[in-house]
Amino acid sequence: MAYVVEPRDPLTQSEGVVAGYAQTASRWPAQPPARRPPGPAELSGPARLERRLPLGRADLAGQGGKRALGQLIEIRARVVDEDGAPIQGAMVEIWHCNAAGKYIHPNDANDAPEDPNFYGAARLLTGDSGLVTLRTIKPGAYPVPDSGGWWRPPHVHFSAWGRVWLSRLVTQMFFPGEPLNDHDAILNAVREPAARSRCIARLVPKENILAYEYQMVVRGRNAAPKMG
Amino acid sequence: MKLVPTAEMTLGPFFPPEFAAGANDLTRQVSGEIIEITGRVTQLDGRPLDNVVLEIWQADPQGRYDNPDFLGWGRAATNADGVYWFKTVKPGAPYINVLILYSGLMRQLQTRIYFDRGEADERLVAIRDGPGRYRFDIRLRGEAETPFFDD
Repeated sequence: MAYVVEPRDPLTQSEGVVAGYAQTASRWPAQPPARRPPGPAELSGPARLERRLPLGRADLAGQGGKRALGQLIEIRARVVDEDGAPIQGAMVEIWHCNAAGKYIHPNDANDAPEDPNFYGAARLLTGDSGLVTLRTIKPGAYPVPDSGGWWRPPHVHFSAWGRVWLSRLVTQMFFPGEPLNDHDAILNAVREPAARSRCIARLVPKENILAYEYQMVVRGRNAAPKMG
Repeated sequence: MKLVPTAEMTLGPFFPPEFAAGANDLTRQVSGEIIEITGRVTQLDGRPLDNVVLEIWQADPQGRYDNPDFLGWGRAATNADGVYWFKTVKPGAPYINVLILYSGLMRQLQTRIYFDRGEADERLVAIRDGPGRYRFDIRLRGEAETPFFDD
C-alpha cells in the first residue's frame, strides 16, 4: 500500500496574507505556488531525527522550590495521520512563553518579568499511541508590538514530523474559553470554523493537575487498496 | 475515517535559538562530494531577514533516501545579514527539498535547490561559487521572487 499526500482544502488552512498582521504582506509570495506531483523526495522522510536534534525536557514546570510560576498544567498531544493512525517515534518540538507572557528569546521586547525557574522549550518523541505528555505551566497572553492593540491569547507552539517530508507541521495550540481567541489574527486566519476549533485543546481535569488534550493531524495516509 | 490535516500556523518570532542551532552540517559518517550551500533570504523591500528557519531533505550520493547511515535532513537559521549556511554532500538526485518557516509566514513555504539546469526553472538552480560552493538566494516576495510549491 502506497502512502499518499493529497492537496488540502484551503479553507482548513491559514490564509497567506492576513489583515491585521502586517508582516504577512511583505513575506508571503505574490505568485501562486506551483502544484507538483509528489515524487520520492517528497514521499520519503527523515527517520530517527534524534540523530540530529537532541531530545530534552518533558517537564517545564519544575518541582518544589524550583517550581515555575503559574497554573500547573499537563498537555497530552497526539500525532496522527489522515487515517487517524498514530505516528510513533515522531519528533515533537514545543515552546511557549512564561505565565507573564515573556519568552526566553533575545527578540522578545515585551516588558514582562522573566521567571528564573521557567525555560519554555521541550523536544520529545511520541510513544506507541502517538502521544507526548508535557508537564508545564499555562502561558500568559502578551501584546504584539506596533499592532494597534493585538494581544496574543495564551498559546503553545508545536513543530511535528510525520511519515514523509510533506507531513511536516508547524502550528499553535490554543486554550478553550479564552476571550482573546475570538480576536487573534493568527487563529482566525484559518477560515473554516471547524478547522479553527480543532486548534483549541480540550480540558480534561485530573486529580492534581489541569490536563489538556490536543491532536495534531499530519498529512498523509495509506492509499485505499485496489479491488480485485 | 479521513481526518483533516491540522491548520499550519506561523513559527512566530520566538523559536528557541537552541532549536535552530547545530543541525546544518550533514557530513558526518558519509563519503561523497562535500559541498557548501549558502544564500540570503529577503522580503518584499529587499531587507534581509534574521532568524529564518530553513530545513532541507535530500538523497545520499547514490540517490537513496533511506540510507540508515546518512540522515539527509538539516536545519539552519539565517543570521543578522539574512544568510544561512549548510554543509552537506552532493545528492545523487537532481534537487534538494527546502522548506522555510518564519514569523509572518502563515504556512511553510516549499522550494527546491537544483544543481543543473535540466528541466528546472532557472531561478531554482544554485549558482556555483567556487569548488564545492553553491549559492542559493531566496526572495520571499517581490522582484525575482523565488518559485514556491504547493502540494
